Amino acid sequence: MILEALQVSVARGTARVVRDLSLKAQPGELLGLIGPNGAGKTSLLRALCGLEPLAAGRVTYGGRTLVEIGRRAGGRTLAYLAQGGRIHWPLRVDQVVALGRLPHGAAEVDAATMRAMEAADVMHLRERTAGSLSGGERARVLLARALAVEAPVLLADEPVAALDPYHQLQTMELVRTLARTGTTVVVVLHDLTLAARFCDRLALMKEGALLAAGPPAQVLTPELVARAYGVTVETGTRDGEPFVLPWRRCDAARSEPIVRP
Amino acid sequence: MMDRAGPGHALLVTALAFLVLALFAGSSAIGYATLDISAALADLIAGRPSLPALVLSELRLPRAILGAAVGFSLGITGAALQGLMRNPLADPGVVGVSGAAALGAVVAFYFGLSATFSLALPLGGLVGAGIATAFLLMLARQGVGTATLILAGVALNSLAGALTALALNLAPSPYAALEVVFWLMGSLSDRSLVHVALALPFMIIGWGLVLSTGRAMDALTLGEDTAASLGFSLSRTRLLVVGGAAAAVGASVAVAGAIGFVGLVVPHLMRPLAGNRPGRLLLLSGLAGAALTLGADIAVRLIPTRPELKLGVVTAIIGAPFFLAMLRRLKVEGE
Amino acid sequence: MKTMPRRRNPGREGGWVLRSRPALRLAVCGIAAFLGATASTAAPKPSRIASLNLCGDELVLRLADPGKVASVTYLARDPRSSNVADLARAVPVNRGLAEEIVPLAPDLVIVGAFTTRTTTAMLQHLGLPILELGVPDSLEEAYAEIRTVAARIGEPARGEAMIAAMQRDFADLPPVPAHPAASIVLRPNGFTAGRGSIVDEILGRAGYENLAARLSTDRLGQLNLEEIVEAQPDLLVINGGGDAPPSLADELLHHPALAPFTADGRTLSLPTRLWTCAGPELAQAAQRLAAKRVSAARIGMAK
Repeated sequence: MILEALQVSVARGTARVVRDLSLKAQPGELLGLIGPNGAGKTSLLRALCGLEPLAAGRVTYGGRTLVEIGRRAGGRTLAYLAQGGRIHWPLRVDQVVALGRLPHGAAEVDAATMRAMEAADVMHLRERTAGSLSGGERARVLLARALAVEAPVLLADEPVAALDPYHQLQTMELVRTLARTGTTVVVVLHDLTLAARFCDRLALMKEGALLAAGPPAQVLTPELVARAYGVTVETGTRDGEPFVLPWRRCDAARSEPIVRP
Repeated sequence: MMDRAGPGHALLVTALAFLVLALFAGSSAIGYATLDISAALADLIAGRPSLPALVLSELRLPRAILGAAVGFSLGITGAALQGLMRNPLADPGVVGVSGAAALGAVVAFYFGLSATFSLALPLGGLVGAGIATAFLLMLARQGVGTATLILAGVALNSLAGALTALALNLAPSPYAALEVVFWLMGSLSDRSLVHVALALPFMIIGWGLVLSTGRAMDALTLGEDTAASLGFSLSRTRLLVVGGAAAAVGASVAVAGAIGFVGLVVPHLMRPLAGNRPGRLLLLSGLAGAALTLGADIAVRLIPTRPELKLGVVTAIIGAPFFLAMLRRLKVEGE
Repeated sequence: MKTMPRRRNPGREGGWVLRSRPALRLAVCGIAAFLGATASTAAPKPSRIASLNLCGDELVLRLADPGKVASVTYLARDPRSSNVADLARAVPVNRGLAEEIVPLAPDLVIVGAFTTRTTTAMLQHLGLPILELGVPDSLEEAYAEIRTVAARIGEPARGEAMIAAMQRDFADLPPVPAHPAASIVLRPNGFTAGRGSIVDEILGRAGYENLAARLSTDRLGQLNLEEIVEAQPDLLVINGGGDAPPSLADELLHHPALAPFTADGRTLSLPTRLWTCAGPELAQAAQRLAAKRVSAARIGMAK
């Protein structure tokens, strides 16, 4: 299902946190949403989920807005993984993941739940209580919950932020496979290497607007990175895959490193 | 692979229902007059207006019915408030909903409103409870920590209690000021079928509204945003809980006074049996609340004080230490 | 005995008077002492009588000259709870506070056994002459109380006249049957008349046996509705305010479980004020009860 944002603006008070932004995410490709803190990535993602009211523009799923799709069907259409999620009651892990089945009926631990737990590598945790999990384990359980919805669109806000390197790679491989097998996936990322290696397309935001959109090679140029993040990067390839390492802070306007004595 | 707790849940509900029925029968069998229950029941069914039938139908039955219904209302509302606010210390008494309901009922009763329009009494309780619940939900929207919630409850209880005492002072009847004990501690003694007819419809409506939020409660385990993304309307859920709690608690308090701690103790005890799932907890808490209240009311009649001990005294003696123990065990966190 | 409503902060008004008006105290003590001195030598009748108690109000308004009554309680004006409502209209009222009484410089203050302790203590402290009324438990005690009040206000003859009228009325009651009918008096909050109370005696004079005295274990005689229904008295005396404003206490008197009594004509409504205080109304209460008993017996014989 094609997810499209058409000239979307989101306001918070008098400030515009997302300004006139247009974006398209297609099934089969992993779209990465990157940009500095405060660029509006989370606000955009929430707006795409219908959690923020739009000051302007439209968001469509397969050509229809969420209002047209309806609340309940909307729950089956998209899966949202929030940033830093909490689990308020000490449920068993498999029950938490099973909550992802709610849009389809009851929150039962069924085959879809098991698949989701396998994919997120939390199967061995399924009898543990939510309160006893570490930060990384909880993050993966919540990812499994989002996977359990088996929705055509997955929107994940920094899904790898709390994870160790093993699980970061595992999760990125997972969402890429998911994208390849027909799900439309949008992830917000901070790690530029992960963004470069795993995403098929990137959208770079700064101050609420889209700075650039396209394949990673096109977006993660030193100039654009400097303008967006205010850092210089060291780039290269290894086994045919790129790495992008932020190296030094720089003066964004002139793309020159700030030299330290 | 079915959820293993599925058939277990149905079994638990049935077991609790039987417990409630047993206590209901016990409550009907215990009282101050010597009564041959089987004879009374036979007379009642045959329509013979004998003395035992009268005592059973006009004095014992209303008390037992109200005991179960009020207990159910308090239990289910406690579970619903806890699920909605994601806080295990929410209870209609603790957070001030019962106190506000008492204020509404007092105004309706003592100033003659319910004399002209009998439904004014439960409606008064409903309005009071509704205002308090809506206020709490406004607070809870951004996610309020335990400390803030309890403080809000203290504030609401203080205000409602003060205004209730004021209303009773200003009321024309000379007994009014002394009757504050009833409103603040609750009692089921000498309630009649008239009270049952007045309150039960509102309570049943409230139960229905609250029970319909079961799945939304489960979704709220993950927070408001995720619950919304799963297709649940937060505003609708809040409205159902506010409306349901107001109706159930408002009507309960209007006929039985404010009985505390049932909505706190019962969900806590039932939560492990519900697998910590807020949706399942609703019905279990209702039934367990009915059982607890019936049991307390039986105790009240067995303890030989004259006048009869107030029901709220028994529930407070059980519930307040419970509350303190819970406070100690929970981490009091600011969110 | 109808008493003043209890104050919520018992110590407060006392503290105010004690702390800030030594001059007033002196003045009042002075006046009282002067009056007391003159009273002890020539025993004149008190000319400024204040009452802080409803029963005191009734006796004072009936036995004293109108100009001599300085203040009665506000309850005296309420026709629902007072037998002297019309007499009380011409007299200033108080709410039972020492502050209201002291400025009147009364030479006699009548209080009840249940007047707030602090108020009574304050008045005594200020040296005002006080007469404390008890709760009469029998007709003899009621007559004694009337005599005491009449003597103290200097109208003993009027007191004797009132007593004589009451005694005549009691003597005129129909004779008490060998087997008195059973009755229970039901008061707001489920209270009844316990044994050894004046109501007990009046029921007896009217030809009834007070079942509550036999059934209940405590002196106050609180009975449960179930016990009342089970006892099936021949007469249920509903002792309420009639058109009283709503209260839970009053609601009890209209409980559906008591409906069979009303349907059978086995209820009699008596306003509480008839037998709250020592006075002519006690005889009225007995007369109504006796009349009910006689008519019920007639209906019973006709069946």
